[in-house]
Amino acid sequence: MKQELISIGEAASILGVSIDTLRRWDKSGKLKPIKSKGGHRIYNRFQIELFLNDLFGIANDWVFNNIEMPPEFYCANSAVFQTRLAIMQGSLADIVELASQFPLVVAAAGEIGNNSFDHNLGNWPDIPGIFFGYDLYKRAIVLADRGQGILATLKRVKSDLSTHQEALKVAFTEILSGRSPEGRGNGLKFVRKIVSENSIDLLFKTGDAELILAKDSDSLDIRPSAGSFRGCLALITF
Amino acid sequence: MKIYLEKFGTLLISRQAGREAFAALQPQLSKISSDETLEIDFVGVITFSPSWGDEFLSPLAEKYGERLVLIHTANSSVKATLELLDEIKNRG
Repeated sequence: MKQELISIGEAASILGVSIDTLRRWDKSGKLKPIKSKGGHRIYNRFQIELFLNDLFGIANDWVFNNIEMPPEFYCANSAVFQTRLAIMQGSLADIVELASQFPLVVAAAGEIGNNSFDHNLGNWPDIPGIFFGYDLYKRAIVLADRGQGILATLKRVKSDLSTHQEALKVAFTEILSGRSPEGRGNGLKFVRKIVSENSIDLLFKTGDAELILAKDSDSLDIRPSAGSFRGCLALITF
Repeated sequence: MKIYLEKFGTLLISRQAGREAFAALQPQLSKISSDETLEIDFVGVITFSPSWGDEFLSPLAEKYGERLVLIHTANSSVKATLELLDEIKNRG
């Protein structure tokens, strides 16, 4: 098989990290390049693809096992998240075939990320902030938080909820009124709406439950997930 | 009176930013006459979400009713957000 070789700049751009990070990853052995004759780092595109498959794994390790994530993926506050989301918006805007759909992808990621900040402000159990990583080559976005999770936050307004699966269903389907003074609560309904009407898929995990929303479909697949954690973990593919 | 949302940014997504934009708009709104329409122009906005929209548009809709006019709303995220906000309003 012919290898497609790419520069460190291209590899950094695909991975959404800086060139310095790739140099660090080379030194630490996390992601080794192929060295060219001139000593420059070059990468095999296929190798980057394989590495990207692990984006979800990095977020998963952080929420389940508190294994430190690379700093490029960490948004300590919503201002950092907004800045990085604006960068992603700019990169997505350059992809011709996504011209009409990409604002929906950015909006979905924005609602999920902001949900984490809005619902945990002043109440983060341990580490404040979120994981936000994306791979425009593989068309995947991963968001995660170590916050209180959907069940705990929804119980404030719906005290009869008792399971994570019920909480997921309410979060993605019921338009809640009377959420003042919090004044929030419909972001995930929006995410469901745009997934059901477009070529976007979503996997969303919280507690011991997970939800799968498939593109162009209105069906809501909620099931128990392997293991349990506090917080939320989302994978958007488009 | 016409308000260009683009002046608040091309990525309008969080509640906090929507609240700040609404507060920043207040001095301009004090100049609007009682029979004047308030046109909100979405031209140039790239990403729009219900959180921002709810903080900014919902209080305007409540105050100005029929006098609030939304224009250049063809962007996919603007359309989807306005549809959801309408649905919430109708259920509320």
